[in-house]
Amino acid sequence: MKMKQVAFLFLIFLASQTVYSWKKDEFRACDQTPFCKRARFRKPGACTLIAHDVSISDGDLTAKLIPKAPHDQDQDQIKPLTLSVSVYQDGIMRLKIDEDPSLDPRKKRFQVADVVISEFETKKLWLQSASTEKINGDDGGLSSVVYLSDGYEAVLRHDPFEVYVREKAGNRRVVSLNSHGLFDFEQLRVKKEDEDWEERFRGHTDTRPYGPQSISFDVSFYGSDFVYGIPEHASSFALKPTRGPGVEESEPFRLFNLDVFEYHHESPFGIYGSIPFMVSHGKSGQSSGFFWLNAAEMQIDVLAKGWDAEGGILMPTEQSRIDTFWMSEAGIVDTFFFAGPGPKDVVKQYVSVTGLPAMPQLFSTGYHQCRWNYRDEEDVENVDSKFDEHDIPYDVLWLDIEHTDGKRYFTWDKMLFPHPEEMQRKLAAKGRRMVTIVDPHIKRDESFHLHKDASQRGYYIKDATGKDYDGWCWPGSSSYPDMLNPEIRSWWAEKFSYDNYVGSTPSLYIWNDMNEPSVFNGPEVTMPRDALHLGGVEHRELHNAYGYYFHMATAEGLLKRGDGKDRPFVLSRAFFAGSQRYGAVWTGDNSADWDHLRVSVPMVLTLGLTGMTFSGADVGGFFGNPEPELLVRWYQLGAYYPFFRGHAHHDTKRREPWLFGERNTALMRDAIRIRYTLLPYFYTLFREANVSGVPVVRPLWMEFPSDEAAFSNDEAFMVGNSLLVQGIYTARAKHASVYLPGKESWYDLRTGTAYKGGKVHKLEVSEESIPAFQRAGTIVPRKDRFRRSSTQMVHDPYTLVIALNSSQAAEGELYVDDGKSYDFKHGAYIHRRFVFSNGHLTSSPVGNSRFSSDCIIERVILLGFTPGAKTALVEPGNQKAEIELGPLRFGGQHAAVAVTIRKPGVRVAEDWKIKIL
Amino acid sequence: MKQRLSLMYLSFILIISSRESSSSIPSNSFIGIPPQDEDYFKREIIKCKNGSKKFTKAQLNDDFCDCPDGTDEPGTSACPLGKFYCKNIGHAPSFLYSSRVNDGICDCCDGSDEYDGKVKCPYTCHEAGKVAMESLKRKIEVYQEGVILRNVEIGLAKRAIARDKAELSRLKNEREVVEKNICWMSFLFHRLRWQVRKLEQEPQEKDDKRNEKVENEESGPDKNVDRQIEPMKASDVEKQGKAGESPSDQNEKDKHESSEGLSREELGRLVESRWTGKKMKNDQLNKHIQMNQEEGGPDAGYEESVVDNAGRSSTAQYKIGVQDLKNSSDITTPSGKSWLDKIQETAQNFLQSVNLFSIPVVNLDANKIRKEYNHYTAKLSDLESRISSLTEKLKFDFGKQNKFYLFYDRCFELKQDKYVYKVCPFRNATQEDGRSKTQLG
Repeated sequence: MKMKQVAFLFLIFLASQTVYSWKKDEFRACDQTPFCKRARFRKPGACTLIAHDVSISDGDLTAKLIPKAPHDQDQDQIKPLTLSVSVYQDGIMRLKIDEDPSLDPRKKRFQVADVVISEFETKKLWLQSASTEKINGDDGGLSSVVYLSDGYEAVLRHDPFEVYVREKAGNRRVVSLNSHGLFDFEQLRVKKEDEDWEERFRGHTDTRPYGPQSISFDVSFYGSDFVYGIPEHASSFALKPTRGPGVEESEPFRLFNLDVFEYHHESPFGIYGSIPFMVSHGKSGQSSGFFWLNAAEMQIDVLAKGWDAEGGILMPTEQSRIDTFWMSEAGIVDTFFFAGPGPKDVVKQYVSVTGLPAMPQLFSTGYHQCRWNYRDEEDVENVDSKFDEHDIPYDVLWLDIEHTDGKRYFTWDKMLFPHPEEMQRKLAAKGRRMVTIVDPHIKRDESFHLHKDASQRGYYIKDATGKDYDGWCWPGSSSYPDMLNPEIRSWWAEKFSYDNYVGSTPSLYIWNDMNEPSVFNGPEVTMPRDALHLGGVEHRELHNAYGYYFHMATAEGLLKRGDGKDRPFVLSRAFFAGSQRYGAVWTGDNSADWDHLRVSVPMVLTLGLTGMTFSGADVGGFFGNPEPELLVRWYQLGAYYPFFRGHAHHDTKRREPWLFGERNTALMRDAIRIRYTLLPYFYTLFREANVSGVPVVRPLWMEFPSDEAAFSNDEAFMVGNSLLVQGIYTARAKHASVYLPGKESWYDLRTGTAYKGGKVHKLEVSEESIPAFQRAGTIVPRKDRFRRSSTQMVHDPYTLVIALNSSQAAEGELYVDDGKSYDFKHGAYIHRRFVFSNGHLTSSPVGNSRFSSDCIIERVILLGFTPGAKTALVEPGNQKAEIELGPLRFGGQHAAVAVTIRKPGVRVAEDWKIKIL
Repeated sequence: MKQRLSLMYLSFILIISSRESSSSIPSNSFIGIPPQDEDYFKREIIKCKNGSKKFTKAQLNDDFCDCPDGTDEPGTSACPLGKFYCKNIGHAPSFLYSSRVNDGICDCCDGSDEYDGKVKCPYTCHEAGKVAMESLKRKIEVYQEGVILRNVEIGLAKRAIARDKAELSRLKNEREVVEKNICWMSFLFHRLRWQVRKLEQEPQEKDDKRNEKVENEESGPDKNVDRQIEPMKASDVEKQGKAGESPSDQNEKDKHESSEGLSREELGRLVESRWTGKKMKNDQLNKHIQMNQEEGGPDAGYEESVVDNAGRSSTAQYKIGVQDLKNSSDITTPSGKSWLDKIQETAQNFLQSVNLFSIPVVNLDANKIRKEYNHYTAKLSDLESRISSLTEKLKFDFGKQNKFYLFYDRCFELKQDKYVYKVCPFRNATQEDGRSKTQLG
């Protein structure tokens, strides 16, 4: 009996374990990954390379790296490496280290192509000369110093070699490489007789024909208290130390694009995408950044203070500092140092290298309804009409893999979707779009034209023996087009033409899933590293960029389809540095639990910080069935994600917003409507990102760089510079502690109540909303009329919500264009700046705009304005407008709490002034 | 000067026209109001219907939301809670959400919801009315047909119920007779036994113990129950002993860990099945998994033994036991005692009386009696099951006037695309697609 009880308890234990069915063992930890294990064994100071032949050539500072005392026992490592330091506008230093091509290396190491945008090269500053300095504390060694930007210099210390950026004033360091002497570059060499280069993991063998070729080095960020970035991980926003004192389970942050089944909400393991870009921030209010352009598997340690206690290397101590350790399996050193100094400067510097985020179409900033799967045309029609029946706006209906004929993309299941064009036209008649899924695995079926075409042309990735690689995915046996090859990318792009994609219409857009690539029978559920791409490039060398190239090719397809006039919308799961140019990403297959709701915020913040601003998590959680309360909270939070989509696994219960009783329907409708009222604001923010890289959703410290209390806050976030939002991450929450940064007040979005800044407020929480505030001193444009979708809102009038600061002033912006074409690039947009001061609200243009709109401003709401005035004078025309108390929001029984200018009637495209009398 | 004037004039026109084009104020201020409400809005000062506020006549349908409940904007999109009334002459009037007003989509068949000139809506009420009328007519026809059908069903049901009830009472009577017969047979049988024994054991002393043993042998069912309990225990023990013989679902999941040795396709299917939730049909794979379970360890094995309650060989006996128990419980009479118990009891009583009074029995053929006895028991059990199924059937709720009574044993099939939907009222509903069958609950 007792035995039975024990067994039963054990069974329960096992069952509870399977709730987290993340299979940790199926993925390589660092100590199962030889290059990572080797690198982590290195001791500080192990690098003996010194910079020789330092000179200026072709506008770069160049040198050769050779070991100080050649190791006799290791003849392979003595070939000199080439080093070059280039300098670009706006405080960007690029450091490249590679094997010397003139010394005939065994193979050209892979350098990631098509990520650095071509415009970047035009920003290069041609160095004329370098000064040589003896820098204090460097034991009399020499350093070469070159100009970087006003106030910054790039420095190459010769012996031992070290590269860093410093502030001219006070010689304060900003970012440095190899300060701890951990640099290591495994040069390609000939295999020795007794060597076994193969690597085996869980039944898979990696032939590794080129042997060890990894690179590792340390990077230090000065004046820094926290580091952020390097997505994609489900973990906190401020990166926790992974090694050193106080770190229990030491595992570096891994960057390796993987399809992880039911990923855990707190883990340094790599998931779907990789951006090897890190940002640091500290008390000084300054930020800096470091980007390593390398698409091989990468592992990054954030080192805890005191990690190098026995290292014996002296580092400048007056500055707080964070050390990190970067390891990659292959590739070259192609790194970018960003001097900052502000957080937004670092982001701008990063996107000047990798490109600005694409300007999305207006519809794609609305709400998306997805499910694996909407069964058939009738189901689609039903779901669509239910939105109308419940007066809930939405813009896009999505079809997952089951819409295809046997998972052959670009086809339709003839039974379930016999009339795809008619179906899309019906949606389009209501201004709605459809998205279908197109994955990179192509069914190996001779009767499938795409496969036949690809295999005949030799367009598939090859296995190590040179045959078409054959892996397993949804359709069964599948092959993968080699998207590294530009020719194959254009071949792929052609497949999206209306002729080729039978059943597609102009209102159809695309979703790229499984592009890590996911291979069910591959090592770690992906492609073998020894698979071969164009020009003999091994998959290991570009793995993390495969999804990026696929996303790129698909976006190019949509662009071609619309004659270059229609902005593509492509959602991708995998991503790499630069993916922001091609569309949106989401955080993959999350789960319907509170922890995943919570971690979605640091994940979206991290993506935004690293350029990928158009991102979101599946509302409701992909796996599992959310409690109605969780679902409601998720809609309330998701309404502020840049990308707002509800999605669910096919084994879950239906969860469209009207299925949980009237009250919950009302709550979800309200959450979605908040998003729609804020669309003008969101669209303006997307434009800001499109010209500056500054993300739509940002961390508090990006707006309040000196507010230390905000540095590690990842429960709350800013939407633009005006709104602060904090999710509710627990069931039945009655209170929430919300930190409001800065000195100015904040106005509750719902009630208009003012709260002091620089304080933690313990707030009562209702089911109706999550805490959200408008910052004093800002103006937010809204459209307060509800429609079926964003399409019908185009002509609707605006509301301006002005939150006054302590000096009764505020400002904000509005950006408008046609919402779909590229005419905005030729000036077809409206960009206004609104300024309120001295009781006057003025609208003035930003830049030259040539776009017309018949939209007017129907209402101006003033928060923090002393009531009393009865009328306002509108110029030009000297019309009078009434002032009264009105509600702050519409769509419910909201009390009249806010001073409201009624019907000023001014046109949004014009200059005007409203004076309060 | 002249130029200036004309410029001013032009800009004046521009301003005027812009004001007109930019707002969607309807020319008829009563648009969107249902006729029965028109009087309400014919005042100078009008109250919001929820009483929260008042507004002037000029504010009615002025394209600015004054009442939180939308009272003042029945004809524009200004208030989210507003409702727009379409007259739809020629068809039925309807209310729209205010979000549909001037949104570029024709919602009312009279086109009245789109008056800002951006789209032209055709007047389709007559056609729509016709269509609606026809579909209504069809509905009525279908309904009428249905009524007839229903009446037929009700009539048939009435008869069927009467028939079934008559059958039930007939069966019950028959049961009584059979029971009596069984009693009698049992009595005769026991008596015969007793006599035979008496003859055999005459020389010996009377032996109560022996008597008891005979009783035990004859009281079959009781004994049976005992026997059934025993194997249950045995199989329990056995199960714990035979840890890790057959894989359970739980384990199958964990065995993903050791996927080495699978063929590439098997591995692909295995990993795929995590997302799809589909069980792999491939038995070979199971075998592989089993073979590869090197790291399973004692813990995993132990877990299996507990989960495995549907194991094959080791639990066969147990299953049979359960089956028997179920059968015997099926034929339990409401009194709580089994009918066999009853017979036994009566037989014992008789036996005792026989013992006491020693009535001699003549010419009784034991075999014949046994045959008869068996015949009647079989008949009784048949009767019992028919009675219980009839009683069960009559217990269901067959709707008003028992109109669904005849659906009891019927199933309906509907073929849609690749699926066949099968609904058996009062039982189950399934969806089949040739390969798999899904219970629809």
